Amino acid sequence: MNSPNLPVVSEGARLTPGELHSVVFARAALGRRGYDEEQVRNFLAYVERELVQIFNDQAVLADEVNRLRAQAAKGTRGVMAPEDAHFQAVRILSQAQQTADLYVADAERYTRELAHEARLQREAILSDAKGRAEQMLEDAHRKAVAVAEAAVRHAGQQSPPPGAARAGGMPDGAGGMPDDERLALQREVAYLRTYSDVYRSHLRSYLEALLRNVAEWEASEQSSLPR
Amino acid sequence: MDAQRLKDSFARVAEQGDAVALFFYSDLFVRNPHLRDMFPIGMSHQRDKLLRALGSIVAQVDDLPTLVPFLQQLGRDHRRFGIIAEHYPHVGASLVATLRYFSGTSWSEDVESDWNAAYGLVAKVMLEAADEDSLSSPAWWNGQVVAVERRRFDIAVLRVMPDRPLPYLPGQSVALEVPSRLRHWRYYSMANAPRPDQTMDFHVRLVDGGPVSPVLVRGTENGDRVRMGAPVGTLTLDEESGRDILLVAGSTGLAPLKAILEQIARRPAPPRVHLFFGARTRDGLYDLEDLAKMAGRFPWLRVVPAVSDESGGHGFSTVLQSGPPPGAPPASGSWFDAPGPPPGVSPSGVSPSGGDDGVEHGNLSDVVARQGPWDGHDAYVCGPGAMVGHTVEQLARLGVPRDRIRLETFADAQR
Repeated sequence: MNSPNLPVVSEGARLTPGELHSVVFARAALGRRGYDEEQVRNFLAYVERELVQIFNDQAVLADEVNRLRAQAAKGTRGVMAPEDAHFQAVRILSQAQQTADLYVADAERYTRELAHEARLQREAILSDAKGRAEQMLEDAHRKAVAVAEAAVRHAGQQSPPPGAARAGGMPDGAGGMPDDERLALQREVAYLRTYSDVYRSHLRSYLEALLRNVAEWEASEQSSLPR
Repeated sequence: MDAQRLKDSFARVAEQGDAVALFFYSDLFVRNPHLRDMFPIGMSHQRDKLLRALGSIVAQVDDLPTLVPFLQQLGRDHRRFGIIAEHYPHVGASLVATLRYFSGTSWSEDVESDWNAAYGLVAKVMLEAADEDSLSSPAWWNGQVVAVERRRFDIAVLRVMPDRPLPYLPGQSVALEVPSRLRHWRYYSMANAPRPDQTMDFHVRLVDGGPVSPVLVRGTENGDRVRMGAPVGTLTLDEESGRDILLVAGSTGLAPLKAILEQIARRPAPPRVHLFFGARTRDGLYDLEDLAKMAGRFPWLRVVPAVSDESGGHGFSTVLQSGPPPGAPPASGSWFDAPGPPPGVSPSGVSPSGGDDGVEHGNLSDVVARQGPWDGHDAYVCGPGAMVGHTVEQLARLGVPRDRIRLETFADAQR
C-alpha cells in the first residue's frame, strides 16, 4: 500500500527536489522497526533510474556543447555575420544577372544571324528577278525583231498600193509617205506589237508567281511575329 | 577632396572592368529591391554606360566648367527614367560600397571621404538641374503614332503626336520608348521642322537583333503609344552664317538634315543648298520622292542621290520603266537607240548629271568630294559612323574648316 506522498513513477517525468523532500514512507509492519522495506527499495530503484537518465542527458549535452564550440571556432558554417550574408546575396544576384545577360545576348545574336540570312535570300531573289526580267525583255525583243523583219519582207513582196490595207494598221495620215519610210513604220509597229505581247505575257506569269510568294510570306510572318 | 587621389582610386577599381558595375548594381538591388524594376532585364549596356559615365566624371573632377554641364544634362536625362531625389543616396551608398570592395587594402578613411564628397557634389548638381528642368518641361512626353509608312522592308517613317507641346530645334533628337520594350530608350531625330499641329516624323531603320527598332519598323500601327524624353543634340542650323549649305545624309541620317532643310525653306531668302542623300542600294533612298518634290519647288535646292553598292547598271524598276534593255543589241531600226527619259523618273531639280535618273554611284564621301568645291560652305553631316568619318575627312581635305562642319553619328544611338 503506497503512501499518498510517495512519488508516482511514471515514464518521462523527472524526479524533482520538491518530491524528494516530501517523500513519506509508511511505518514498518508490527514487530519491526523503521520504514517499509519494500517501499524504500522501490524508491531507491527509482532514484537510480533517474540518476542514470540524468548522467546520460548530461553526456549528450556536453557533446552538443563541444560540437557547437568547434563550429564556432571554425566560424564558416552555421549562422553568418550580416555582412557576409550581404556579399553572398550580391554574388547570387550577380550570377543571376550574368545568366540573364547571356540569354539576352544569345537571343540577339540568333536574331541577327536569322536576319542576315533572310537578307542574303532577299538579295538572291531580287537578283534572280532582275535576271528573269532582262531575259523576258530580250526574248520579247528577239521575237519582235523577227516579226518586224517578216512584216517588212511581206510588205515588200506585195508592194501594196498607197493608202490600201496596211500591215500595221497605220494611221491614215501616213498614206502619203514615201515607201521606205512607210516600211520602216510598219516594221516598228510590228515590232512594238509583238514586243509588248511577249512582254505582257511574261510579266503576267511572273507577277502571278510573285503574288503567290507574297501571300505565302505574309502567312508565315503572321504566324511568327510576336505582338 | 583630393582630385588626384580620387583618380588613382578609380583607376585601380576600373581595371577590374565589368565586374565593378556588376557588383554595383547587385549591391544596389539587394539593398533596394524596388529599384530593380527601373532597369531593363539585360543589363550589359547599362553597365557599360555606368562605367563610361563614371569614367568621364572622374576624369573631369578637377575641371568643373566641363563637368558641371555634363552632370546637368545627366540629371535632366534621368528624369524620364523616373529617378527622383530619394534614389540618389541609395546610389551613393552602393557606389561607395562597390569602390571599397574593389579597392582592397588601398581603401582608407581619406579615400572614403573623397568619394563621399565627390558623390555629394555630383548628386547635387544633377538634382538641381533636374529640379530646374521640371519647372519648364515634363519628365517625359506621351505620344501616339498617327501614321506609319513602311518605305522598305526595314525602313519606316512614323508620325507621332505628342500629348503636349514638345518644343525642339530642327536637327535635334529625342529618346523613344515603346510599351513592348519598356526601359529600352533609343534616340531618333525629328525629321521635320516644328509644325503647328505638333506632329513629329521619325525615320527608323531596322537594326538586326536590336530590341527597339524592329518593333518600330515592323510592329507599330496607328494609335500605338510611345514615350519620349526631352530633345537633345547640337546638330542644329547655324543661323548666324550667311554661307551656302552642304547637307550630307547617309540612310536614315537624313532625318535631322531634312528638318534643317525645312527650317531653311521657311527663311525669306534661303542660301543655296546642296543635299547629298546616300544609301547602299537604290531602294535605300527611301525618301527620294519627297526630296525630289522639294527640289522641284525650291530653285535654291539641289538634291544629289547616290548609291555605293550598285554598279551603274539598271535596277529592276528602271528596266520596267525605260523600255528595251540597254544591253540588247540595237536592231536595224533606229527607234530604240534613244529610249528617252521614262515618264516621272527624272524630276526637275534632282541632279541630271549622273547617268540613269540622276543617281550618282560611289561612296557618298567621294560623290560629295567630286562635286565640290565646298570651302565656302557650312556642312552638316549625319549617317553611319564610317560614312560620317570619311565625309569629314574629305571635306577637311577640300579646305572646309572643321568648325564649319556639324555632325552626328547614330552608330550606337539606334538599336
